[in-house]
Amino acid sequence: MSSSSLRAHPLGDSAVTIAFGSERSAALLARIHATARSLEAARIPYVEDVVPAYLALTVFYDSLHTTYDEIAKTLLDACDRPARGARDTAPPRQHVIPVHYDGMDLDAVAAATGLSVSDVINRHTGRAYTVDLLGFVPGFAYLSELDRSLQLPRRPEPRPRVAAGSVAIAAAQTAVYPLDTPGGWHIIGRTETMLFDPGREPPALLRAGDTVRFERVA
Amino acid sequence: MDSFTLRAANAVSGNHFDAAGLEWALGGGSIRFEADAVFSLGGAKAHATLGGEVAAPCTTIYAKAGDELTIEQITSGRFLYVAIRGGIEVPPALGSKSTYLPGRFGGYQGRTLKTGDSLLVGVDSSHLPTDGFHCAAELLPRYEPGIVHITRGTQADLFDESAWRTLTESEYRIAAASDRTGYRLEGPALANPAGTLPSEASCPGSIQIPGDGLPIVLMADAPTVGGYPKIGVVAEADLPIIAQRSPGDSIRFELITIEQSQRALRRRAADLQTISQLALRSSSRAS
Repeated sequence: MSSSSLRAHPLGDSAVTIAFGSERSAALLARIHATARSLEAARIPYVEDVVPAYLALTVFYDSLHTTYDEIAKTLLDACDRPARGARDTAPPRQHVIPVHYDGMDLDAVAAATGLSVSDVINRHTGRAYTVDLLGFVPGFAYLSELDRSLQLPRRPEPRPRVAAGSVAIAAAQTAVYPLDTPGGWHIIGRTETMLFDPGREPPALLRAGDTVRFERVA
Repeated sequence: MDSFTLRAANAVSGNHFDAAGLEWALGGGSIRFEADAVFSLGGAKAHATLGGEVAAPCTTIYAKAGDELTIEQITSGRFLYVAIRGGIEVPPALGSKSTYLPGRFGGYQGRTLKTGDSLLVGVDSSHLPTDGFHCAAELLPRYEPGIVHITRGTQADLFDESAWRTLTESEYRIAAASDRTGYRLEGPALANPAGTLPSEASCPGSIQIPGDGLPIVLMADAPTVGGYPKIGVVAEADLPIIAQRSPGDSIRFELITIEQSQRALRRRAADLQTISQLALRSSSRAS
């Protein structure tokens, strides 16, 4: 099912993924975020959650009271019409995250990229990153864009457990794991900064649109 | 993990479907009731006794203050559910009473229960009588022989015919490295042309294929966004079936349409309503 250039696909029984394109870009991501805010403002019946991502957004819905065909059509129509009353984005904030660069994959990343460990660290700290989106686990923020020379595919098999505070890279992104979780990215360091605190309001430190710099500490 | 069974056990004990209950994995142990209570067990089959008498699953059971519910061992399945009338009382975190183990918050102090822990149960203001209802097996999921229905995933088209044949015609076994975030499977690897993809939303039941080609089925505590391609998604109606498979148990996947999958989910919801109505009616008759 599709509408103009948007294509809908079921994600199991209670979600619809709407694909916006096949090539990542800052403009596409901005469009997806704007559409997500617009869908939330539209208060479509049975919609429970909207999750923006790089090429698509996914809408979770109450499938006991509607079917995939009905909700997909409603959503595709709504994506074409910007809703009134979509909230403005909050002003972006700048964060500095202190990092101990002693990650278990640091040497392997240096070897795979042909750089010295020191160069890997300098290229990681040498730029500001934008928070693209949140997802994966509470407080996990996908940060762009990693220096081209550091870009490596994800590990072929995810590790069953990566420690909270691990600083990692994969493909064109970098991130900090907020919790102990499985993870397939390359671990290059660790931070004591708390990316997610259930007692804080809001619990997640980072928001889409914020910027992050990493700072090397002993 | 087997949310159908938790809901059913809640209904049998006289609770709302979403009351907080206990999820008990794999081992034995015991619970002492410090006050009179009504409860129900469900899910994994276990040698369970209350005050020396057999405690049958899917049955409303009355416990007197001082009675001990003892689980000697779980004999098949993976998760036993204990629902107590009134529900378990814990402070909600982020709007839920569930425990989120990876984040160490929610539920009882954000952790699994251990010996000596004491739980509060909500007040039972219903004054419903208290035991004997037994739920018919036809209303419960068919856990054996481990057939798990799936719909096509968001990256289904990236996998060729031979990968689909492999997925739907092979037997897979639950690997030892399986937990609430996901079940790794052992069996024939699937040729995965996709590699790294831009991250997008996933859901419990998503079947992702990492670089080594061995499927991982995302479960209750799964990541919400990820970059491994998703070949299929387990039908929500069948999540209980795969959830109850222990390491070494086998499963087979069968492909169905989204229409069939949603119909099956609605049937499960209807079965839960039936269980609830029967349990309430049986209580009224007994009074």
